[in-house]
Amino acid sequence: MTLWRIWRDGLLLVAGMAVACAVGIDVARADETCNSPYITKLIKGQEDYVYVWALGVEGVGDGADKLVTVDVHPKSKGYGKVIASVAVGSRGEAHHMGFTDDRRFLWAGGLAESKIYVFDIGTDPAKPKLVNTITDMGDKTGYLGPHTYYALPGRMLVQALSNTKDKGGVTGMALYNNKGEFITSHAMPTDGGGDGYGYDLAVNPKKNVLLTSSFTGYTNYMRPLGDLVKDAEAMKRFGNTMVMWDLKAMKPKKVFAVPGAPLEIRWSLKPGDNWAITAAALTSKLWLIKPDAKGEWQAKEVATIGDPAKIPLPVDISITRDGKGLWVNTFMDGTTRYFDLSNPQAPKQTYAKVTGKQVNMISQSWDGKRVYITSSLLANWDKGGADNEQFLRGFTWNGKELKPTFELDFTREKLGRAHHMKLGSMALRAGS
Amino acid sequence: MRFGRAARRAGGALRRVAAVATLAACLSAAASAVGHEAAPLPPLDFDPPRPGTYTLHRIMRAPDGEVLGLDGHGQRLSDFTRGRITLLGFIYTTCTDPDGCPLAYRVFETLKQALAAPAFRERPQSNAATATAVEARHGYAEARRASGGLGGPVARPPMSSMIQLVTLSFDPLRDTPAVMRQYAGSRVNDGGRGPRWYFLTTRSARELVPLVEGFGQDVRHAIDRSNGKPRRELSHVLKVFLIDPAGFVREIYTSTFLHPQTVLNDIETLLMEGQNANELRRLKP
Repeated sequence: MTLWRIWRDGLLLVAGMAVACAVGIDVARADETCNSPYITKLIKGQEDYVYVWALGVEGVGDGADKLVTVDVHPKSKGYGKVIASVAVGSRGEAHHMGFTDDRRFLWAGGLAESKIYVFDIGTDPAKPKLVNTITDMGDKTGYLGPHTYYALPGRMLVQALSNTKDKGGVTGMALYNNKGEFITSHAMPTDGGGDGYGYDLAVNPKKNVLLTSSFTGYTNYMRPLGDLVKDAEAMKRFGNTMVMWDLKAMKPKKVFAVPGAPLEIRWSLKPGDNWAITAAALTSKLWLIKPDAKGEWQAKEVATIGDPAKIPLPVDISITRDGKGLWVNTFMDGTTRYFDLSNPQAPKQTYAKVTGKQVNMISQSWDGKRVYITSSLLANWDKGGADNEQFLRGFTWNGKELKPTFELDFTREKLGRAHHMKLGSMALRAGS
Repeated sequence: MRFGRAARRAGGALRRVAAVATLAACLSAAASAVGHEAAPLPPLDFDPPRPGTYTLHRIMRAPDGEVLGLDGHGQRLSDFTRGRITLLGFIYTTCTDPDGCPLAYRVFETLKQALAAPAFRERPQSNAATATAVEARHGYAEARRASGGLGGPVARPPMSSMIQLVTLSFDPLRDTPAVMRQYAGSRVNDGGRGPRWYFLTTRSARELVPLVEGFGQDVRHAIDRSNGKPRRELSHVLKVFLIDPAGFVREIYTSTFLHPQTVLNDIETLLMEGQNANELRRLKP
């Protein structure tokens, strides 16, 4: 009915269509720096909202996982405040989210289960609404812990972390259409050097390639970190590979040895660039994936993040839109670092600031002037006591200094643990 | 036997070279008058997987509804999306965004030209069974009967006749059948060169909306605040849908992935899928 209202506007519609097409509004091939290139409608100006997918904490508020909408428009009276919160009614280790290609819906899930929650953010971006819960991933695929939600045209490719059989790290990807109907699944390779593990995925459509990374399974990520690190056998069960796939055929082309759990993958968005970068969490290294002189894809260690001996644990990265800079959050030392990527073969750290007692996700606006940071890694891996800060913090970045602009205390607000973020805008409202 | 296979493979390779050469020539050809003008398409920046080496999964069932042909008469959209392999794209005739409607038009035009060329018009032997399967399943029984019925010689239509192009406007107010006829130009009556290209519109938004939403073709208002004054505008992102003869969407192309070469490979993959299905049926007791 939304579109019907659009057409009811009659002549305004016709005039608007002509104008829109003439100015080429946001027919996008990239999102604000780190999303699927198929996602439409870039927010190139000031974002209005940050959506935070928060883990429920027993005894804190209703204890359920929830999608929290925060007003981040500096000219708004509610700047830095919660304007909406949608609880999903249970606690399932809320983790990541992803937009559908039309950016009308936001898919989110938890690592403790196989459920996927679909929020309508198009009807009213200020008030997300839970409109669907997909519950068949476990039965259809045997995969557990949906992690990355990556938009393909009319579809969502979901990378899982684990499996329902032994809850180890061997897993795969599930493909759904935008209506939430299951299409097919793709197992991570266990031959040709593959360890079968999964974590993130990212597409380079111009080269018809999909790149995947690897983490660990339920038995590890749901275990208290203090116990886990003392278990030498369990510590062997982390991913040490990345895989380059033929995107069209969805077949593995090459398995790269990338030790130490390579996590988030970012393709350079600069036109003409043809490389991706990732951070290996356990070894604290940056890796570059790029074709060699013969056109063969290769993975190469290109930089060290902090002092690997102290296990700073790089947990999230965010690339600038021009591919010249990379934010890296290291969880253990609560530090936000900036690397100069002018030469991606030799990234150099040029800035560092302690932004929390523990920091996890980092997101930036398209223009790079605003940076948002959250605190929670995993419920059982977060720090304890006074170090267990739970927040969303906003900063401005002028190329030299991160300056705090607002802070939202998720514990005080009874919201839980702040994890993944996505940006929203009232300009993206579907119909009006 | 082995020699025969090798010869067929060699023949297939030669035909593929001819088809690629044809496609390359069409890619570099200037856009025809009428419709959208657009710059020549660049070549693909990768080697796509060979047809038949990958699977195009059923993404969703294509929606159905009432549409208007160029004669202004109402018909079901399914009349244009079933029985053949269909490439369907939404456009509006006033669109000028180079990554939008003009790109789709250019790709459709290139495909039509390519499929009209001898390399595609002459049915390769390796595709004979494919054609038979598609014919048997999806509406070429008439041709079979005319040529002697089952067991007799089969009159195989050219590959291009198993494919159809559909351009559907999502601007019913402006894009009337008369406007669409002007937009289509000579492509309506082209003497049967290449696949048929249908130009459709709808009577009203009420009839269009279920189709647009059923396909997941996003069309929305955007608020442009670049000049400080909110301004309502409508925008869309190009999507082109490959639909199998049974009416299931099997691929969705956006501007980053819409290229005649990948579309042709996908069409051939669907044709080969029909061949395999037919062979399986024959093996069944």
